[in-house]
Amino acid sequence: MTWNKNPYNVLGVSSQATGEEIKSAYRRIARRLHPDVNPDSRAAATQFQDVANAYEILSDSLRRRSYDERAREQAESDEDYYFTLQITTSKRTIVPLPEPQVIYLLADIFADPRAVGDAGKKRQSKLNLTLVLDRSNSMSGARIEKVKVAAHQIIDNMDNGDIISVISFNDRAEIIIPATEVGDRPALKARVSMISPSGGTEIFRGLSDGVRQNRTYSGPRLVNHVILLTDGHTFGDQEQCLELADEAAKEGIGISAMGLGHDWNDNFLDDLVSRTGGNSMYVSSANAVVEFLNTQVKNLSNAFAERVYLSVATDPDVQFESAFKLSPHPQPLEVGDGVIPVGSLQANRPITVLLQFQLPGGMKDGFRYIARLVASGDILSNKKQNYEMISDFSSEVTNEPSNDEPPAAILDALSKLTLYRLQERAQQALENGDVTEATKRLQNLATRLLEMGQKDLANQALSEARRVAYTSDLSDKGRKTLKYQTRYLLMSPDEDNA
Amino acid sequence: MIICAYCAHKNREGLLFCEQCGNPLTSDVSSATVPTRQLEDSLGDLSARATWGSASFSGASAIVLHIRDASEPVTVSLAERLVFGRSDNTSPRQPDVDLTPFGALEKGVSRIHAAIERSEDVLTLVDMGSSNGTHLNGQRLSPEVPRVLRDGDEVRFGKLVTHIYFK
Repeated sequence: MTWNKNPYNVLGVSSQATGEEIKSAYRRIARRLHPDVNPDSRAAATQFQDVANAYEILSDSLRRRSYDERAREQAESDEDYYFTLQITTSKRTIVPLPEPQVIYLLADIFADPRAVGDAGKKRQSKLNLTLVLDRSNSMSGARIEKVKVAAHQIIDNMDNGDIISVISFNDRAEIIIPATEVGDRPALKARVSMISPSGGTEIFRGLSDGVRQNRTYSGPRLVNHVILLTDGHTFGDQEQCLELADEAAKEGIGISAMGLGHDWNDNFLDDLVSRTGGNSMYVSSANAVVEFLNTQVKNLSNAFAERVYLSVATDPDVQFESAFKLSPHPQPLEVGDGVIPVGSLQANRPITVLLQFQLPGGMKDGFRYIARLVASGDILSNKKQNYEMISDFSSEVTNEPSNDEPPAAILDALSKLTLYRLQERAQQALENGDVTEATKRLQNLATRLLEMGQKDLANQALSEARRVAYTSDLSDKGRKTLKYQTRYLLMSPDEDNA
Repeated sequence: MIICAYCAHKNREGLLFCEQCGNPLTSDVSSATVPTRQLEDSLGDLSARATWGSASFSGASAIVLHIRDASEPVTVSLAERLVFGRSDNTSPRQPDVDLTPFGALEKGVSRIHAAIERSEDVLTLVDMGSSNGTHLNGQRLSPEVPRVLRDGDEVRFGKLVTHIYFK
């Protein structure tokens, strides 16, 4: 693949920059991103490669001239804006301290109105959707019926030309609808109606067939997505599922998962979807399935850009501690190697990610860089692939801090995220066998929830705290309720209305 | 380091909410000390709270207990940890501060009832699993969960009411 990024942007210099300026910009960035000082970060490695490529072009006067000429020819199309990356920080200036300190960055990726505008309200994306539905014995009754209703509605709501496939699985997988363009809706729906529950749950069988069906049509201009719905534990094939998710992510296929009832493995499903930038959801009652599935599909069909990644390369002395997606759907993200899939970008709603970093002790006064963030993604309405926005985040270290309050958006998000983290820590404490600590954290969580007016959830936390004190374990239901409900607290208000 | 004004957990600088109890942390480095005046300003007409004093215990080395119905205040010098309770010859552990002379038995004080602990410049009150509970300014404490103690706070061990002042 030829390297087709804008080298001026990558180096952060103007197109009129002198050779000297280019060289010093290159040296400055390369020092920060060099693989030798960032051994474990894929984000730093790929970003460094880009910087090296950019410098290679711009440092060679012949190649620079030919790039400039080409850029002028394509000026109209190449200068388009698609999405913007905006960074907000918890503190504008940093006081140098002997001890490490924490700083938060809020990264907003939003579709540029100019790019959304020309297409108007029209849908920009074409869906390539695969439903992988659990039909194990435990799905009998209301559950499977509601799932069928949901699937019927989805088929009704999809446009002609969208692609659907449906897999059902128990300990074997069955292709109910092979990947096909939506056309004869009654026939498709009739096939879904045939699903009848029996047997156990082996997710890998269903998921691998699902990914295979999705793959037959998957392409860069489609929203390729697999939605897995299950109500049970899968045994022995989790590793295979995770590997499959990694593969799917590479091919640009997203996976979301919905757990029904409370007898399924939430940690596994969270891990599975986070590898592809998908969402995981907890649906406590069969009745909620219809709405949840429909919302999910509606959001997918609103996509403006797909396969959006946030690549975060910190300066060598900065630690990247955690990331949490606040919008469009609250979802904890794995920091991993710094390249984080964040799913699809909707035209009318930003992707917002809250990042937590630890800065070292003993920083010197003056401006310093903290991280380079790159948001990249495929624009669906357009043939523009792998469009990216770069933001070098720097801050001033000074003994005369500005006494501004942290921005309301960060405070608000953190006040709720803290609750999610509290239940997470309670579960960690339990895993380490520290019952007292877990009880304490659950009680603290209950107190905070009560203060926020979340009475039901507070009661749930309290009864789980009591339960932990006696039985040293959480109930399956309580564990999931606390985990997913504290997560949903982060849902932006406009989503509640949607 | 920021000490949570609520549970005295030591949080890293820059955090905005306590990692232990989830309460907001003020960005002020001396967050554990809230001047009385500031409290009055921010809490307005909540006069009951305006009696809260400073949580800073730096410089002080003793606490004074004004026990209700007792004639004289009791002064106790403070080590790392001070256990309150009711002395009883049969129990293996004895409290540091014996409340028996103040009617502990009738008022439902446990043998090992609660403790005041010193961490940095802050005092915390922690209930040690007492039968009748420990109340701080009217709020019942969960066992084993420390809360920051301020100058002038009302502490209730069972039904035994006392005010605690820093000296």
